Amino acid sequence: MKHIIIIGGGVAGMQCASELAQQGVRVTILEKEADTGGKVKNWHKLFPTFTPASDVLSGLRHKIAKADNITIKTGCEATQVTPNSVRLASGEELSCDAVVIATGYTLFDARIKEEYGYGIYDNVITAADLEEMFNKNDVRLADGRVPRRIAILHCVGSRDEKVCQRHCSKVCCVTGVKQAIELKQLFPSADVFNFYMDIRMFGPGYEEMYREAQQKYNVHFVRGRISEVSPTIDNRLQIKAEDTLTGRPLKIGVDMLVLLIGMRANDMNTTLETDSGLQRQASGFMQPKDAFLGNAESNVEGIFYAGAITAPKNVAEALCDGATAALRVSDWLRNK
Amino acid sequence: MFAAIIIKYVSWLRALPKSDLVLLGKGLVSPQTMMAIWEVVCESLLHRRIFRINKRLGYMHMSLAFGWFLLIVVGWAETVAYLGARWVPLQGHVFFKYFAALNGINTHIAIFDFVMDLLLMFVLSGVALAWYKRRNSAKLGMKRATQHIFFDKIALTALWFVFPVRLIAESITAAIYGGGGFLTGGIGKLLSMVVSDNILEWAYEPIWWIYSLALGVFFMAMPFSRYMHIFTEIPLIFLRHYKLRPQDKEKSYDNFEVEACSRCGICIDPCQLQQQLGIHDVQSVYFLRDRRYNMLQQKIAHNCLMCGRCEQVCPVGINLNTLRLNSRTSMRNIPNEGRYNYLRGKDYSMGEGRVGYFAGCMTLLTPNTLHAMEKIFTAARENVWWADKDGGVCCGRPMKLTGETDSAQNMMDFNKRLFKQHDITTLVTSCPICLRVFREEYNLEGIEVLHHSEYILRLIQQGRLRIKYNAEQTFTYHDPCELGRGSGIYEEPRAVIEAIGKLLETEHNRKNALCCGSSLANTVIDDKQQLSIATNVAEEMDSTGAKTLVTACPLCKKAIARGTRSKVVDLSEIVAGNLR
Repeated sequence: MKHIIIIGGGVAGMQCASELAQQGVRVTILEKEADTGGKVKNWHKLFPTFTPASDVLSGLRHKIAKADNITIKTGCEATQVTPNSVRLASGEELSCDAVVIATGYTLFDARIKEEYGYGIYDNVITAADLEEMFNKNDVRLADGRVPRRIAILHCVGSRDEKVCQRHCSKVCCVTGVKQAIELKQLFPSADVFNFYMDIRMFGPGYEEMYREAQQKYNVHFVRGRISEVSPTIDNRLQIKAEDTLTGRPLKIGVDMLVLLIGMRANDMNTTLETDSGLQRQASGFMQPKDAFLGNAESNVEGIFYAGAITAPKNVAEALCDGATAALRVSDWLRNK
Repeated sequence: MFAAIIIKYVSWLRALPKSDLVLLGKGLVSPQTMMAIWEVVCESLLHRRIFRINKRLGYMHMSLAFGWFLLIVVGWAETVAYLGARWVPLQGHVFFKYFAALNGINTHIAIFDFVMDLLLMFVLSGVALAWYKRRNSAKLGMKRATQHIFFDKIALTALWFVFPVRLIAESITAAIYGGGGFLTGGIGKLLSMVVSDNILEWAYEPIWWIYSLALGVFFMAMPFSRYMHIFTEIPLIFLRHYKLRPQDKEKSYDNFEVEACSRCGICIDPCQLQQQLGIHDVQSVYFLRDRRYNMLQQKIAHNCLMCGRCEQVCPVGINLNTLRLNSRTSMRNIPNEGRYNYLRGKDYSMGEGRVGYFAGCMTLLTPNTLHAMEKIFTAARENVWWADKDGGVCCGRPMKLTGETDSAQNMMDFNKRLFKQHDITTLVTSCPICLRVFREEYNLEGIEVLHHSEYILRLIQQGRLRIKYNAEQTFTYHDPCELGRGSGIYEEPRAVIEAIGKLLETEHNRKNALCCGSSLANTVIDDKQQLSIATNVAEEMDSTGAKTLVTACPLCKKAIARGTRSKVVDLSEIVAGNLR
């Protein structure tokens, strides 16, 4: 029986594994963390339908559990990849007939944008922190109070040449709208502001959700990036920004600032380029063989991609990618 | 040649602004004149400064300048010795051998022949080095040599020919008429043995003609080529001793500095734009050349980090940064000055105290530094007047660096009034960019301006700040350009670091420190290019093995942090984190 190794047990990797398993291929998933689920296991609800992220994961896990030809190795980090073998951090080497890389992305470290005060001020949090708060059903300020005014800042570590992240992370806009709505649902009397450069509503239902946020939930949208954040005497946060539609600088005090951190390429991608001969894009994400007909293949025969390893993607796209990669792998095995 | 040079000098001197003429007048009769004469001997003849930078290049320059000078002086003495006590022009010796031989004068005085040959050999060794350098500059310690323009190449070629041709000419003379020292005489004897007399006599006239042509071409080209520096350095040294300096706006004095550039190209190697980014047409040598011939372009004038690494090694000591700045000022677009009207009456400052703290724009964007300073002030029980914690006006230096000196003045006036109004005696800033403009251009009489590294060290020495020392903590330090080369502050930050833990030095430090690459002075290179320089700097810092990378400038901190995953912090942060 052919053996395929999938690196990364996030949604793309799990989807790919279950599809391959159905075609009678032996699959091993290598997951560096203690559990599968990737980034999605940290999310609360998924846009634009507010589907609980756990529903998606349990569906995938269920499919995988049914298949008896899938092995999941957790706590395993791949260090070197060739089409026929994967070396682990432990030194162990696994052989295989093809490899699917589904290692996804890394969240931008908001501390690099020091002017926004993440890690300095208690009530500056990232979108990922907010999801965790939603999951624990515990959205509060550091001192336990309820926030009355919240600012959400878009494009933190996306479209920002100053931190070497020129690309658009694509899903943050809609995440900001989603989180604004969720915050308004929790705190109907709170003021929620979105500070943005552009609002890019690229998916089905997104634009409608954006409209609903404004009309139904009265979320405020201000076009302009925040320049800096400082504390006020009463321990709130003062935000300096420019409303570029009216052309005026503005200063407002808020209780909480949510930073919509972008997706950046994994550090490991450089190793993939140097050791495995795989091509990388200028953004640091991996370069698929072709943008249209070869989007699941790499430039190396026998190495495939699934999910956000090649570009920022939403959950639905990652799932779709997983299935595509499975198809490409089985085609390739058949024609080899 | 002399006419051209004199016309130039006189017109430049006449165009000097009044204040400079006053300085000149005052200086002329002071001891400065004697000191200037001594410096002319050291620099224009002996080239002491080049020696310090690179021994082989120093020898090359010295052999050419000092050797040629002595050839002229000794030659003159020789001529005088023959012609007796009568007026002999300095250049009288040039064809002395030629005419002396033709007129059948006995030119044998062994000592002169010997000395002249020795000197000729000295100069020739310099020419040989120069030839070699053109072909293989790396062997002489210059990775890159200047790319010369056509006119310079003509003058250069002529100069190269002068001495070898003189050697041949004098040797042939010696071969035919006898005489000459160990070199010309020796070659002469050899020639007379090997080559027939007919050929020697046939070659005699042409070779002296070639010699005189080479000399002629060189002297004709000199005032318009790089060799103008030979004479221009002399008045420059005098003027400098009289305290004349280039300033914000271009003025006539600048001509002396611009034309004193020999285009030696020593400024090219240290330039990080060249080392790291492969930009080869913006360095000071090319900037000065373009400015001299009125072909300076904005993209050249503005493509410079103003890190001062070239100024540090310039053997002529030209104020390269100031000249570039005043070029930028001349080339700027005149902005609408009305846009600064909103500054009137604004005051965002808070707190009260005799010590003022000015964070500056970049520190406000790196709030860790600001908070560390708050902690330090509290620990030292200092009452602080916060100039711009809640927003303020830029110190003006970034505008100055782009040549917008008038706009900068608006901001500077605003801040100066603010400082005076609040009656402070000490002004502390954590930004070297602000520090420099406060010290150099604000004229804050009665207010002592300190960089936070100096202030913190003072607090430690006074016992007002108690620090935990831990030898396990390892740091490396990046000298910010504006703090180090710009303000001469090298030791204070190091002393502070050594009070906290172990300091590991980088390969390039202090005066030779690298620039972080994100300098406000450069508006031409893009982020990617800045990052490439930053990565290089960060690699050097990481290679020391230190756990924490420290700098003392908010801009450097941001820049270096982009180039590494290691922890990059401001000096104040490690102090605040290790208070007892």
